[in-house]
Amino acid sequence: MTARKVYTWVLFFMLLVAWNTNCAVAQDLEQEKPLRPVAHMFSAQYGHSTVLDSYLSPLKYGGHAIAINYEAQQATGFNPEKWTRQLRLGVDYDYTHNPAGNHTMHALMVDASWGMMHRWKDILTPGLQFQLGGETQFRGGAVYNAYNSNNVVSARIHWNVGLLGQAVYNMHIKRLPITLRYQAILPVAGAFFAPDYDEAYYEIYLGNHSNLAHFGWWGNRFDLDHTISADLHLGSTILRIGYRNRINSSWINNINTRDIAHYLVIGIGGEFLNVGAKNKSKLNNNTISSIYP
Amino acid sequence: MKRLFYTLIAILVLIPLNSCHDQVEWDNDPYGNFDALWSILDEHYCFFAYKDVDWQAVKAKYRCQIHDDITNRELFDLCSDMLKELQDGHTNLISTFDVSRYWIWEQYPINYDERLIDEYYLNFNYRRASGIKYQILGNNFAYMYYGDFASGIGDGNLDIILNNLAASDGLIIDVRNNGGGYLTNVETFVGRFIDERIYAGSIQHKTGTGHNDFSEPYDYYFEPAHGRVHYNKPIVVLANRGSFSATNNFVSIMKSLPNVTIVGDVTGGGCGLPFTSELPNGWSIRFSAAPITGPDGKLTEFGVEPDVKVDMTQEDIASGKDTILETAFEILKHERINN
Repeated sequence: MTARKVYTWVLFFMLLVAWNTNCAVAQDLEQEKPLRPVAHMFSAQYGHSTVLDSYLSPLKYGGHAIAINYEAQQATGFNPEKWTRQLRLGVDYDYTHNPAGNHTMHALMVDASWGMMHRWKDILTPGLQFQLGGETQFRGGAVYNAYNSNNVVSARIHWNVGLLGQAVYNMHIKRLPITLRYQAILPVAGAFFAPDYDEAYYEIYLGNHSNLAHFGWWGNRFDLDHTISADLHLGSTILRIGYRNRINSSWINNINTRDIAHYLVIGIGGEFLNVGAKNKSKLNNNTISSIYP
Repeated sequence: MKRLFYTLIAILVLIPLNSCHDQVEWDNDPYGNFDALWSILDEHYCFFAYKDVDWQAVKAKYRCQIHDDITNRELFDLCSDMLKELQDGHTNLISTFDVSRYWIWEQYPINYDERLIDEYYLNFNYRRASGIKYQILGNNFAYMYYGDFASGIGDGNLDIILNNLAASDGLIIDVRNNGGGYLTNVETFVGRFIDERIYAGSIQHKTGTGHNDFSEPYDYYFEPAHGRVHYNKPIVVLANRGSFSATNNFVSIMKSLPNVTIVGDVTGGGCGLPFTSELPNGWSIRFSAAPITGPDGKLTEFGVEPDVKVDMTQEDIASGKDTILETAFEILKHERINN
């Protein structure tokens, strides 16, 4: 990657963070409105995955799973006590081998999600909150089996709407504030790409684009992405340690896909509120965090 | 609130159960690997009906020969023999120690001698670009040899080649012993010899595991290479049994053009687009998965008949002559006189 490309990506992420933060700033300038910090979290994830794509091979591949993820969550401008919004961007890469260990399959996927959740605070016990809502997600990439001939690659493109929920419990161990969280993302319906049973991508290249897009629902695909984590509040920095499980599966046109990954999650982030010097007095306003105390 | 909570738990528990879609798994033992091979072909191979192969009978014939003490080598040979029942050059079993094959050109005259052409026709004096060897010969006919459709053809290279050959009175395209490659290169190549959109054939694919589960044929067309150098004079394509797969497709399409004559032997066939799968022990299996017809609407799995059938004779070879190339000269001379 050239220095220019690296610079472009860094700039993109900086703008993303700035946008999320400034959204809060612009709306927080009004004295009577509460401050709504943005909880940013960058995480690196590593673990084990199994990848099955019967278009490429009838055998289940297994190997390394690597992912990076960015998440931003903030109370909404309207009714911030009751609603939060969340943005996630991620890249997953699976480096897997067949059972005999002589063939390699690579799976590279990117995803972007945006959702809103209603929240119920202090449910059952003080410090425990539930959030539940909906989100829209795009997930796309490809699985590549270098050893194959005209079925060398399987494209995965999926857009969906689904459920987004989390249970959050803020507690202390001695003097260390800790946030325990379980988050689940459950796509419900959408659209996805799948070729016909033995349809070559060459035929698609020749112009046969019929029956490539499918309505996705629980009758032909199931996806679940859930994470259990502990966020340790170390001053203004938050360190996340957790476990993530990702399931992506589909069964259509006699083609089965089933990817299951288990990750150890290590993340770093914090809550940021970009307030200029002349508005510092507003820091005494009521502050509403999206998940933290 | 409690009702919502319990509903969510129920969804999370029940939905994954719904997602249990079966994927057959085989044991990694001689029987399991044989069954995997047989099943993969049973569900994906595209020419059972066309070749009238009773695949169940084939299984009965070969599976009973497996025993617990069979070695890898013996199992490989047994599976190879089973695959030969398909008479398909695109069907290969690939292990670390061997590749099974059904290459019919091994049973026919070679009909090509590269050294003879280099020495007696090109005098070792030729140009080479994009994997194409080319030169204008002493009789003012252009000759180009393309030995591998896997060699990328650059548009710029083709412009240079065809510009260099533009002053000739006719063109010989030699694709003997060209075992195939990328069909996209066929499209790139043919685009230089047509002035209007042509019907190139049709492609089908299997829609299910049944032997007759096929999609409707999808007709496809080739466009002329707009803004590029073309060759519109008489053309002779030289083919032999080693002209296989993508080359077989190239010959079938060129045969449909009015200014083209096919000379030599029947091509090697191979009109099924191959897919690849694998067995639990790591052996790979390549097989024909999607049938492609030529412009005449017919499958060319067993080859394309030439317009002029001719084999190289031993007498000609001994005297430094390529009988097939000499026949091409005669055809082009005839065209030159008539035009």
